Amino acid sequence: MIIRIDEYSDVPIYMQIRNQIVMGISSGELKPGEQLPTVRALALEIGINTMTVSKTYQLLKQEGYIMTDRKNGARVRENITQSGVISEENKTELRRIVSEARLSGVGKDALKKLIDEFY
Amino acid sequence: MTWIIKLVMFICIVPTVILMYILGFSKNPGKKNMIMGVRDNPKFHEGKGQEKFDTIVSSARKGGLIITAIVVILSIVMLFLPVNGGTLLAWVLLVFALFLVAVPYGKGNTELKNLKKELGITKSGVTYTDITSTNTVHALKLPWLILPNALALISTIAAVLIDFGVFGVTPAVEKYALTVMSLSFLFIAAIMIPIAVMMDNARNMVISRDSSINANYSRAKKKTWADLFIAMSWANALYLIANSVLMFFTDSEAAVLISTLGYTAVIMAVVVIGVINQRQVENRYERDTELELQDDDDNWLLGMFYYNKNDTRLNVEKRLGYGGTINLAHPAGKVIGIVSALILIGSLIMIIYLNVTGQLVV
Repeated sequence: MIIRIDEYSDVPIYMQIRNQIVMGISSGELKPGEQLPTVRALALEIGINTMTVSKTYQLLKQEGYIMTDRKNGARVRENITQSGVISEENKTELRRIVSEARLSGVGKDALKKLIDEFY
Repeated sequence: MTWIIKLVMFICIVPTVILMYILGFSKNPGKKNMIMGVRDNPKFHEGKGQEKFDTIVSSARKGGLIITAIVVILSIVMLFLPVNGGTLLAWVLLVFALFLVAVPYGKGNTELKNLKKELGITKSGVTYTDITSTNTVHALKLPWLILPNALALISTIAAVLIDFGVFGVTPAVEKYALTVMSLSFLFIAAIMIPIAVMMDNARNMVISRDSSINANYSRAKKKTWADLFIAMSWANALYLIANSVLMFFTDSEAAVLISTLGYTAVIMAVVVIGVINQRQVENRYERDTELELQDDDDNWLLGMFYYNKNDTRLNVEKRLGYGGTINLAHPAGKVIGIVSALILIGSLIMIIYLNVTGQLVV
């Protein structure tokens, strides 16, 4: 799975990695139980501080996407808890995206088609 | 025997300067991803940009060609010149003159960076990492690297013990000559092992959205580096052992010099084969054009020295030539950089001093 890091983005690097790992799990690129690189290996590979990767993994663990233990390192969770609801934070983000799309003249159908494609 | 020393220097200098010229100044710069340490950009090939780009590149290429030609011609002339007190110093200075090829390269690099600003080429800070193959792609078989260097170590220990009279035998050469020679070549082995390991642990390149292509590409590149270091280690160890045997049984300067000549030829051949193999790998794989290229040209001082405070890696892939280089902003990189510069300057001063005081004779 390829991770794209934009140094000039407003989104912090730890969040960029987190978002892409979540997208990878959702799309099936990262399979349940799949081993993730160690904090040190990933930090060395990207060329960033280990604390940044550690923060990403802590966040992913907290959100229930991955599990970590001393012996096996980080792995994608076999059973991710499905709450069935969209968080308030994501709702706000979705509203912003829909608003911007409407202002740009993107039709509802086009937006729905995009959702179908990403889902 | 001076002609053998001259031949050794000639074999070292001429292929090196030609390789530096070929690698630094491409014949078809428009077809390369990197031109004198600056990433190619479509704006370089539009209207006035193309005009200025061509002027910069051809001027640097011309400069490189002139310096290369001078070094080659001087090497040929010195090969046939009669020997005097300054011969060895002249050859050593010619080795240092190799660095002059980097001058038009660095100048071209600076001019291209200025052209980027002039054309309004904005920076892209995008990097890609393939987390599927993180820390899993390796090509170096450590036992094959350790074995020749272990043999070199055993040979050196034997040389030291012989010189200190532990075995009760005396070598044909003068006392401690065997130890000094062995330790010098063991030092090369000691440097080669960490560099080989470092290159094998280098970051994997992302050239495709397909992880298996990225893994294969990185593995192929690492394999060429691993083969190069293993071949050099074997050449080093075999030379050390052969030379020790020669020096033990005979005090013949001719025999030692001939084996040195063979060693130099083998090392140069190994390097050339390594470069050819790297080029073949590069030609076999094509980069996915949809992947954005990171613009980190400003982190490459003169297109040769990597200095990036925001990068925690110590070793990165070179822009000039093949292999790796160090991040001079890394604490360990700073130490390595300063020590290397001191060794280079120190050895030059020492050679000049020895020559002036008449201690450096051929």
